[in-house]
Amino acid sequence: MGTLLEVKDLRTEFHTQDGVVHAVNGVTFAVDEGETLGLVGESGCGKSVSVLSVMRLIPQPPGKIAGGQVLFQGRDLLTVDDEEIRSVRGNKIAMVFQDPMTSLNPVLTIDTQIGESLELHLGMTKEQARKRSVELLKMVGIPEAEGRIEDYPHQFSGGMRQRVMIAMALSCTPQLLIADEPTTALDVTILAQIIDIVKRLKRELGMAIIWITHDLGVIAGLADRINVMYAGFIIETAPVKEIFGNPLHPYTLGLLGSIPRLDETRKEKLTPIEGLPPDLVTMPTGCPFYDRCRFRTEKCLHENPPLEVSAVRHSVACWNWQDVVKARGRA
Amino acid sequence: MTTTISLATRTSAPTLKRSPSPWMRIALRTLRNIPALIGFLLIVAFFFTALFANFLAPYSYDKQDLDNIEKPPSAQHWLGTDSLGRDMLSRLIYGARSSAFVVLLVTVVNLALGIPLGAAAGYFGGWLENLIMRTTEILFAFPGLLFTFLIAATIRPAVLDWARSNGFADLARSGYLDYAVVIIALGFVGWAGLARFVRGQVLTVKEREYVIGARSIGVPTWRVIGRHILPNALAPIIVALSMGMGFIALSEGYLSYLGIGLQPPNPSWGNIAAENFGRYWRTFPQFLWLVFIPGLILTLIVLAFAFFGDALNEALDPELVD
Repeated sequence: MGTLLEVKDLRTEFHTQDGVVHAVNGVTFAVDEGETLGLVGESGCGKSVSVLSVMRLIPQPPGKIAGGQVLFQGRDLLTVDDEEIRSVRGNKIAMVFQDPMTSLNPVLTIDTQIGESLELHLGMTKEQARKRSVELLKMVGIPEAEGRIEDYPHQFSGGMRQRVMIAMALSCTPQLLIADEPTTALDVTILAQIIDIVKRLKRELGMAIIWITHDLGVIAGLADRINVMYAGFIIETAPVKEIFGNPLHPYTLGLLGSIPRLDETRKEKLTPIEGLPPDLVTMPTGCPFYDRCRFRTEKCLHENPPLEVSAVRHSVACWNWQDVVKARGRA
Repeated sequence: MTTTISLATRTSAPTLKRSPSPWMRIALRTLRNIPALIGFLLIVAFFFTALFANFLAPYSYDKQDLDNIEKPPSAQHWLGTDSLGRDMLSRLIYGARSSAFVVLLVTVVNLALGIPLGAAAGYFGGWLENLIMRTTEILFAFPGLLFTFLIAATIRPAVLDWARSNGFADLARSGYLDYAVVIIALGFVGWAGLARFVRGQVLTVKEREYVIGARSIGVPTWRVIGRHILPNALAPIIVALSMGMGFIALSEGYLSYLGIGLQPPNPSWGNIAAENFGRYWRTFPQFLWLVFIPGLILTLIVLAFAFFGDALNEALDPELVD
């Protein structure tokens, strides 16, 4: 499979009154055609900012993409002109946002909103766009789509609105769907339905997905590969089975230790990761996870470990990952 | 057996009554407020009178009835006549036309300048925002009404001289240029407030997720502003406009009262009051209504706009539930 998206050394910062916030600090990753990539990490670790940077949707000012490349089908999206990036947005790369309650324009009807990208990118007439919108709504499982197409967003429930969002994102059959925590604001039964819909559509349409979440449980059944982010760095990347079976970064290990499991009886309590991520304004020179790490050494304080290959298709940014393996073996 | 009903396959979803558009609901909510309803009716009456003044007025605004000079109200002249024998009621009705004309045109000027400049400042930020906002601040540095008087008094002679020396002497005599002077003076100052207000609204709306969402599907910038940001910022802008219309009517009254706005014989509530006040203040309280009624009507219209705007503002409060 060919590479669809290649992000190289992406850096995004925000210039605020309190100083420069280093939100994304040299992130490199790739997405193959048809692949599902999970982007995992706690709040404020740069997941959303990195994908918004990919689409050049960072508010500028105060945001600024300070460096790097975003190669989509070989073209660097950071250097193309405005018109070209607009022809990519919604057409080749589409996005679903976190909160379905605020992601739809309250003063426009549903068909106007779905139709907008159809009219823009596929040059459809209003009538054609309307027909296609009904099909899309049926595809994401909205009952009586014909009757509801002229409704306003406030007439839909949260789960239904997220389906509408997905229908909007898929309207031009993009090659890459970016889902920014699309299930966080939904309750668990709706969450399962949405994930099923996305899985089915991925099979039918063969698109690649970047799925952002802080919930490893959601991503386990969905992703091919997982990037773990921390303080604006990717600190570990591996196929999904590797992440769960052979975590190498102390932070990944900590994340896994803090999910409750239903399939085994647990004697000990869940272990949270102590402490807080570093201040992104005054970034430490060493490893950003230093303060919270059980495996830290003198070297970690002074030098930030690069993301290095540790096994086949598995990379980790930690000086002491061998110690993590040993410690895991003892436990 | 499972009792779960899959949402995807349920065929008998309750059919919702087609609910009115958000705008309709706001209108209904506004007019449930009694002062607002009265205000709204007065505003409608105001524009109606202005539009059909030539059918409603019993006489022309400058028709002199020389047999009936300075007469109290009678069947022939419902509100009496002034010192030149002109029918007061007719002058007041045509005064509504002057006032409405100024109110509408100044509002158009304010909209045409304030909305694009304010929206551009809010959306793009940077040097453009600085330029626009600093300009509005310079305008704000002068006391608003005094500044308007200053502009009107300064440009009026210049405009009239220019017209006379360029072959538009008839136009200068007709008094139509006075309307232009008033509209320029009020528009020059008025757009700044609206621009600042629109900028503030755009700043809050542009960070909403659906705006980023619209950009994420490749909607061009001008359409993001025109279709996704402004309609969502429109509600408070309409309130500001409604309040602003009252203020424009009042300002036109001031200008005309002071003699730097519309000039007699063209009727304006301001200059009707001024003319009659100048003539009758010594004989107080004789002919008091000739001064009092134009002022009262102007006050009512200003209040009508204020009450309507106020109720509209309340109706637009998202916290409020039907």
